[in-house]
Amino acid sequence: MSGVVGRGLSKLYGAVQALDEVDLDVPPGTVHGLLGPNGAGKSTLLRMMLGLVRPDQGTLEVGGVVAGFVEVPGAYPYLTGRQNLEFLARLDDAPGDVSTVLEQVDLAPRADTKVSGWSLGMRQRLAIAGALLRAPDILLLDEPANGLDVLAARALRELVAGLATEGLTVILSSHDLAEVDALCEDATVLVSGRVAWTGSIGALRARPGRHRMSTSDDARAFRLAPSALDVQMADGALLLHGDTAGVDAYVLALGREQIAVRSLRPASLALEDAFLELTR
Amino acid sequence: MSVVRAELFKLVEQSRVRVLVIVCLLGPLLVAFVLDRQSGLPKDTLFGRHVHESGYALPLVILGFAGTWGFPLLTSLVAGDIFSSEDGHGTWPALLSRSRTRAQVFTGKVLASALVAAGLLAVTAMTSLLAGLVLSGSTPLVGLSGTELAPGRAAVLVAASWATALAPLLGFTALACLLSVVSRSSVIGVAGPVVLGLVMQLLALLGGLGDAANVLLTTPFGSWHGLVREHPFYGPLGQGVLVSVVWGAICLAVARWVLLHRDIT
Repeated sequence: MSGVVGRGLSKLYGAVQALDEVDLDVPPGTVHGLLGPNGAGKSTLLRMMLGLVRPDQGTLEVGGVVAGFVEVPGAYPYLTGRQNLEFLARLDDAPGDVSTVLEQVDLAPRADTKVSGWSLGMRQRLAIAGALLRAPDILLLDEPANGLDVLAARALRELVAGLATEGLTVILSSHDLAEVDALCEDATVLVSGRVAWTGSIGALRARPGRHRMSTSDDARAFRLAPSALDVQMADGALLLHGDTAGVDAYVLALGREQIAVRSLRPASLALEDAFLELTR
Repeated sequence: MSVVRAELFKLVEQSRVRVLVIVCLLGPLLVAFVLDRQSGLPKDTLFGRHVHESGYALPLVILGFAGTWGFPLLTSLVAGDIFSSEDGHGTWPALLSRSRTRAQVFTGKVLASALVAAGLLAVTAMTSLLAGLVLSGSTPLVGLSGTELAPGRAAVLVAASWATALAPLLGFTALACLLSVVSRSSVIGVAGPVVLGLVMQLLALLGGLGDAANVLLTTPFGSWHGLVREHPFYGPLGQGVLVSVVWGAICLAVARWVLLHRDIT
């Protein structure tokens, strides 16, 4: 096993309940998103996985070597990028190759300059290189695209996607929902220290009882909408909200009125809308 | 040992430690140069009136001066932020997700800072002796009992006197490590041992503590006074070593417990 399984994880900081009975299942070899507003407990959960914070209650099984960074991409400013990685490599039993990881994160050209003069984006990449140097089974990334320009963010997404295809388990905490959408198969949404939702990204977007339909005459179809269904016209289609039997009856009624149903599929929300529904 | 080597590598790359090395190397030579140029003598310090008579007096003057605040400052600059800088730089997650345990990281950091502090003490001792010999030559030294000590014996006693500073120096290193771990603040870790050292000196100077003054960590810095005599006495030296070991052991035990049990947030 090289995934992560947490059961009933709780953590109290003074009067603040950072985590409250959190269950987490991250299967090995997947990219799992960790979503939630500020203060939801994402960083505390990541710190637990890294062994930096102990849960007050619950169990956490982390299968394999875990590496990553939380909140800030830490580095020693008085060392060069390469020296930072060489320092970390000295603490590993079987470290990866410093030059290789520098190439992986596209830092090789600046590797021999002091980190004190580096941008946040470069430090992010250095922190990722430090984690990769550990040759982890599980990689934890907290807002990895912070400070990255568009090209660097895209390169990071490609890097993470590539690592996932090699079997690495990646847990990605991010406010960038487009990034999560592009990279993650599954996600857990935390709100006020509790799990508000967990499952596949597709299931997160999907909403039961909502369908999107297009017809040969949407305007007439809209006028024929039964009262049992909530039907709205939006973005050149009809949005239906109601139970399946009601939708079936509506489709049959349209057929009788010589209106062809060209497509009918479950409606999905934009990830951002789904996230906002959960966290409001 | 890999943690010790890694931490040593990190320490010697810090400009603060490099400046310390330069100060320890050149400081005594600069003092000798200034004394050579001026007519007055540091008569209010032990052996101060003899710096132009014997090359073995200057290293003892510098030792007395360093024991007042120099050694606490030295250990502060070496060890005062060896733990708290990880909080400041946000490097704990990277550091503690390597192959080494927290206990190993703690031991490595303590040993590395102790090695650097002891190394700087040795460097200062050697350059002080060299500076004294350059200033006044290898001539007999008048000991604290008023008798002349031959150059060979004086050299051995100077070396032994400097060696007595090792135990309290390491005690202060442990204190700096404790403050660094507990406060998570480099400012407190660096300033704390210096301030505490000065407070201890002040308490000892004000008197009234009686035998309790012997348990202050600054007191062992003066234990060499018993050596530079016709008939040395070693009681303060043994007591100083014991006091330093107890201080060091308590500070390190508390610091280790705190680091091993704290949440890294």
